[in-house]
Amino acid sequence: MGKKELKVAFLLALRSLQRGSRSSVVLTVLIIAMCFTNMVFLPGLFNGIGQSITTQVVDYEVGNVLVSPKSGDQYVTDLDATLDLINGMPGVERATPHLSKGATLKYRQRVLGVSVRAISPNDEKYVSPLYTKMVAGSYLGDGDTGEVIIGKPVAGDATIKEEDEFQPSLGGVRVGDSITIEYGNGYTKDYRVKGIYSTGWSSADNTVYVTMSDMELVEGKPLDYADYITVKAKPGYSEKFIKDELQQYGVSQKVQTTADLLSKVMGQALQSFAIINMVSLIVGIIITTVVLFIVITIKTLNSRRQIGILKAIGVDKEVIMHNYGFQVIIMAVMGIFFGVILTALIAVYLAANPIVTPEWSATLYLTPLDYITNSLILFLASVVAGYVPAYQVSREDIQSAMRA
Amino acid sequence: MFEIVDLQKIYRMGDVEVRALDGVTLDIAKGEFLGIMGASGSGKTTLLHMLGLLDEPSSGRIVIDGTDIAKLTDYERTMFRLYKLGYVFQDYALVPDLTVMENVSLPAMLRKDRDDEQIKRDSYHILQQIGLCDRRDHLPRELSGGQQQRVSIARAMVNKPDILFADEPCANLDSENSKMVLELFREINEEMKQTIVMVSHEDWHKDYFNRIVRLKDGKVVSDGFNGKAEKAG
Ligand SMILES: Nc1ncnc2c1ncn2[C@@H]1O[C@H](COP(=O)(O)OP(=O)(O)OP(=O)(O)O)[C@@H](O)[C@H]1O
Ligand SMILES: [Mg+2]
Repeated sequence: MGKKELKVAFLLALRSLQRGSRSSVVLTVLIIAMCFTNMVFLPGLFNGIGQSITTQVVDYEVGNVLVSPKSGDQYVTDLDATLDLINGMPGVERATPHLSKGATLKYRQRVLGVSVRAISPNDEKYVSPLYTKMVAGSYLGDGDTGEVIIGKPVAGDATIKEEDEFQPSLGGVRVGDSITIEYGNGYTKDYRVKGIYSTGWSSADNTVYVTMSDMELVEGKPLDYADYITVKAKPGYSEKFIKDELQQYGVSQKVQTTADLLSKVMGQALQSFAIINMVSLIVGIIITTVVLFIVITIKTLNSRRQIGILKAIGVDKEVIMHNYGFQVIIMAVMGIFFGVILTALIAVYLAANPIVTPEWSATLYLTPLDYITNSLILFLASVVAGYVPAYQVSREDIQSAMRA
Repeated sequence: MFEIVDLQKIYRMGDVEVRALDGVTLDIAKGEFLGIMGASGSGKTTLLHMLGLLDEPSSGRIVIDGTDIAKLTDYERTMFRLYKLGYVFQDYALVPDLTVMENVSLPAMLRKDRDDEQIKRDSYHILQQIGLCDRRDHLPRELSGGQQQRVSIARAMVNKPDILFADEPCANLDSENSKMVLELFREINEEMKQTIVMVSHEDWHKDYFNRIVRLKDGKVVSDGFNGKAEKAG
């Protein structure tokens, strides 16, 4: 197969696409573009969901590294010394404790069971963006007592009737209002609502935050223990590095990275995602293959006599085959190109308007590698689908082709 | 230059045997304008396809310029057709998506001994000769039947073939256009010394041929130069 033959085959292909049926070319390209979109959209969306869940777990639950009680213990003990130890290590931005207690909130006629989480407000700022999520009032200060901040869904909305609520709330608490908290140990106290926040992360939004100082009053003793410590890494330090360091330098508690924790929880979900991704990939490939196969088969069947004539006047069968091959290649490249543009536009749109649910908010998460692998897979499938009928028709003998 | 010895083509359809060609022996010399005539079904197209290497005989020998065609591979036969033979078909058979110029250039573009410059010159020249130079950027569907047939003659001639085959090139044309096409063949034959083998069953075409072979049931029943033996046959 020389250069001249390829040139003629390409000319024949190009002219056939330019001057043949426009609508069939446009529709074929569109179908390939749609199949490409279908192949990358769901996996991209799932990746986006995974990313958003991971970010929120890091932001509002565990930080980069979680230090929790060693097995058999209820609390991380010797809290101050442990915090000092961790905060002194290279790569640690800040370590901060959480201590949660079950409680009942009362406001006017409403009663609501929630968990009250005690934090060190200033240290928490280094670990969690909670302080940036205030929608009313202000964030807690370290020495505050008798004040709480509550999630928007807990505060509720006075304009919605109790029976119409999506989830039970206090029915419209506002900043400055007083709510009563009754803890599991019987301790009861009135608090002023200092602020209301909304993070979009459901478990954080269904919580009430108080300061560690307030929790000391509840427990009735100095707090030298916590449920766990969340650790934020400095930029450039890996979670794994921090974990190894903590274990090496005598943190006797259980130390886990976010990845350790998520791999267990998310593993299950990711596995179901992987199956759905595989199905959408296979469906995309099959549709593209079948469509291209049909399009090229119809083309070749319609031009059997034409092909016979070309062979008669001395056009080699390889030229005939590559003519149809090139047509497929051109349409596949255009289809994939439009598919890339389409998905990129969807990604931009979703970045500006994420799909939001109470559990997560999702954008399309697509890496260049996703684009490249999916393009290649689709391209190869197209080429196979086009060359099979092209090969068959190019081998037909002149007599039967010319009689067609 | 062309030597055909005892050529047979037998089609088998179930138990029935059709002898499309039944022992044809023929020599064709350079510069001849040979007409193959005969009733429908007499084997004209079959013979032309054998000569043009578009089909293989059941038995017999075809030798062109000393080359025994039976010994060529499929690819060699294709190249033989590209470099040495030209074809004109009844239905013009131009590529519908190529312009007149592109259609005419196509066979030349595949030859290893032609560069772009020469292809352009040759195509232009032949189009001038058939008088359709001003239509070179038109598509075949924008031309009349007679014009399309002239383009198809130009396509067959662009590689300056040793021999030009035409199977009823006027069958789809009215008598005016037929005359024009036949005149063109005569011109090519006389001025360029082009060897032509043409199939026809229209009796008035025979005035253009300088030799006529008549077939009947796959056999040659007469063979002679125009105006002499032909009348006797
Ligand atoms: N592929 C084939 N299978 C079977 N029989 C065939 C085939 N091709 C041709 N024949 C038979 O061979 C004989 C000669 O056919 P051919 O096409 O050569 O006739 P022709 O002289 O060109 O006729 P016409 O003037 O109608 O074109 C006919 O009887 C035809 O039916
Ligand atoms: Mg015929």
